[in-house]
Amino acid sequence: MRSIVVRRQSPTQSPWAIGAMTAGSVVLAFLVAAILFLPFESNPLQAYVSVFDASLGSWRGLAITLNRAAPLILIALGTCVAWRAGFGFLGFEGCVTLGAAATAWFALSALDEGIAGSIPVVLFFIIAIFISFITGGIWAGGMGLLRSRFGGNEVLISLMSNYVAALFVQYLVAGPMRAPGSLPQTPRFPIETWLPNLIPGTRGHIAIVIAVVASGLVWMLMSRMRLGYDFIATGINPRAARYGGINVRQKYVLAAFFAGGLGAMAGLVEVLGTQHRLLDGLSGGIGFIGIIVALLAKLNPLAVVPAAILYAALSVGGDALQRSTGAPSSIIFILQSLIVLFVMASDILRYYRFRSPFVNSGLTHHA
Amino acid sequence: MQPALELKGIVKRFTDVLANDHTHLTVGHNEIHAVLGENGAGKSTLMHVLYGSYKPDAGEILIDGKVVTFTSQRQAIAHGIGMIHQDFMLVRNFTVVENVVLGLDGEGGGKLDLNHAARRIRELSDRYDLGVDPWARIEHLSVGVQQRVEIMKLLYRQARILILDEPTAVLTPKEVDMLLKTLRSLATEGRSVIIVTHKLHEIMEVADQVTILRDGQTIACVAKDETSEAELARMMVGRDVALKIRRTSMNRGHPSLVVSNLHVRDDRGELIVRGVDLTVHEGEVLGIAGVDGNGQSELVESLMGLRPVEQGSVEMDKTDITHATPAERSEKKLFYVPADRRGVGSISTLNIDANAILGRQHQFSRFWRLFLDRPKIHAYAKELVARFDIRTPGIDFPAEKLSGGNLQKLILGREIMRNPHLLVVEQPTRGLDVGAIEMIWGQLLEVREQGKGILLVSAELEEIRNLCDRILVMYAGRIMGELKPQEATDETVGLMMAGMSITEAKAAQGEAYA
Repeated sequence: MRSIVVRRQSPTQSPWAIGAMTAGSVVLAFLVAAILFLPFESNPLQAYVSVFDASLGSWRGLAITLNRAAPLILIALGTCVAWRAGFGFLGFEGCVTLGAAATAWFALSALDEGIAGSIPVVLFFIIAIFISFITGGIWAGGMGLLRSRFGGNEVLISLMSNYVAALFVQYLVAGPMRAPGSLPQTPRFPIETWLPNLIPGTRGHIAIVIAVVASGLVWMLMSRMRLGYDFIATGINPRAARYGGINVRQKYVLAAFFAGGLGAMAGLVEVLGTQHRLLDGLSGGIGFIGIIVALLAKLNPLAVVPAAILYAALSVGGDALQRSTGAPSSIIFILQSLIVLFVMASDILRYYRFRSPFVNSGLTHHA
Repeated sequence: MQPALELKGIVKRFTDVLANDHTHLTVGHNEIHAVLGENGAGKSTLMHVLYGSYKPDAGEILIDGKVVTFTSQRQAIAHGIGMIHQDFMLVRNFTVVENVVLGLDGEGGGKLDLNHAARRIRELSDRYDLGVDPWARIEHLSVGVQQRVEIMKLLYRQARILILDEPTAVLTPKEVDMLLKTLRSLATEGRSVIIVTHKLHEIMEVADQVTILRDGQTIACVAKDETSEAELARMMVGRDVALKIRRTSMNRGHPSLVVSNLHVRDDRGELIVRGVDLTVHEGEVLGIAGVDGNGQSELVESLMGLRPVEQGSVEMDKTDITHATPAERSEKKLFYVPADRRGVGSISTLNIDANAILGRQHQFSRFWRLFLDRPKIHAYAKELVARFDIRTPGIDFPAEKLSGGNLQKLILGREIMRNPHLLVVEQPTRGLDVGAIEMIWGQLLEVREQGKGILLVSAELEEIRNLCDRILVMYAGRIMGELKPQEATDETVGLMMAGMSITEAKAAQGEAYA
């Protein structure tokens, strides 16, 4: 019998092998998390079925899952652009918040006979997307400028900027934009500005369509456009990029701009799709979960969509789990973490080749 | 008496490189032993084998005549071997004494007695005149003092064989003097010091014995007193390539690249290019010979806009480009084949087709230059692979998996296909096999025959002599003189690479023949 595992000289690039490893990691995470159900005397398989039944098994559940996945997709796409360009951006919470605030300002102008009330709905959404994208883009692009002009550390700057943005929006909803009443929030947006419904009879709106289209566009940017080539070259090896005539500093600013814009669009779908008003603490951590989704998708803009839907489905199903089996929904958080952990760790398997132990290779026959 | 250390027949192979090819090294007691060789000669690999970081494929290590095997650095340290890396291994916000005792097993039964350790550090510091304050924080110390803290760590651990990897690379000239004095005082009481370097004058100043490595093999081991800088330079760079390539005679054309009084600083802010003047004409190959680290790389980087010019000017086809961006320079058709093929010349994880368009992305784009023109890129990459005989399974193959020779063909081919007016080529055949060398030399001469100028920087004398119409020798940031290829004997160039002016070198040669 020969050894089953052989070390490779360099990691495999085959998309089939990488896909299989990722799927295997997800399955393994489900198996490990199954142990956690034992104290509750419930059948893990049944529990998993109920999780997915709640999140994907009905139109209502599916609608909630997709609503939750859409902003995650947009943030994860922003992560793909920034991180692959070598810009370690962590400021999506701030972009979501500010994008939501800019959208809210525009949507609320409809109430005071502003332009938003007098234009066709389609035009309203186009302008709203534009405004939120530019807001987030300038916010994040400024951090890109700080790095490329002054050598600031973008990881720290962007992380801290989240607090600035969150407190600024807190100020807005407590003061200038506050609706009459006791709660710190804006008035509800006029119904025409809400994202149109996608799945009849549910709350499912078109955010998922926006997100999927964005995913296609980001894929096109990164693998078909010249700017994407420049981003990737800069991210892998800035010295070689500079040698190749690429303006590396400008690329950091541009990548940050796109990342911020995509993050702000997540804020837009949150306020126009789900909340219908601006309120404090609106992002609720999705700015970080989106980054995790991007890592789960290995920074591939197309893989971001299924990764986000899986993540959202588990979150939605986790709430149902507690009701049906009595097992705490924290099991689902553990499962989500295990999935990310195993998928990231599976990268090491790319250095190994697996063989059946019983088949002899041609060479050993002579020995 | 047994030598302190012997390495016998060490073989270490990486994927496609034989880094050590039956290398041997013998170091005596009370001796400073220099290991000399160009980048990629196998010096660092050999030291890592000695220090237990790499397991050799063959060969043995003897300490005081006894065979030892290390599988970890900890075991090497236990046998009295200590190494100081180029990048120091110090915790920046710890004090000196904390850094020195870090990783040691406690002597006082688990109780950390820093005062006791500090007393010993002060003793050692006084004895070897290191001037290290045990209570100073690392982050407040200059690089030179940090290095002495590293030496202190080894002394504290009672290392008997001290290895220093390129110890002077990060030091100012004054700190270098101080270090060399320290090394002298260390090589006493049975201790041995190994310094890995390619700086000749330091060797002549401090070493007792010199082992020269080239292409992973030990070329010679000589006593310092029985050799000279010129001889060492020759042994280090000489490569016996049985290749003779025919250079047709050509009339050179107009001046293409004109460099006057160029001054450039290195990464530490020291002036490393100090007033270089040179002119490359159309249809000629101008060579710059010299031992690595005498400012050639910085000179070339400043010509390409990858390093700022401190003083002086660069003109290309009568236009001043002293402060132009890399992209503006490539519009003037000034192209560059860098020495660092994997770190600068290519983007390792991207495929051949993506690497083939590096530097000319705009020429391979369509739809308002926003999109990559993939069919055109594929056709072009295939042409490049075929024309320059790049051995690869396909154009969608990552550049990092190509062998050195094939990667170099890709980079050189890419720049030649851009139809250069002037091509700057740095160490084009370092580490390549004979077949690839022949191919690359032929391609370079073809560029010259098309009436284009080439500036060739190489540490390989044979290469310079075979390809160049004129040869400049660079030493310590200056040009020591210009030679015709037939004048460029090993001896003359060797003397100039060691810092002699052309007249002195020729006079010395004249005496030798007289």
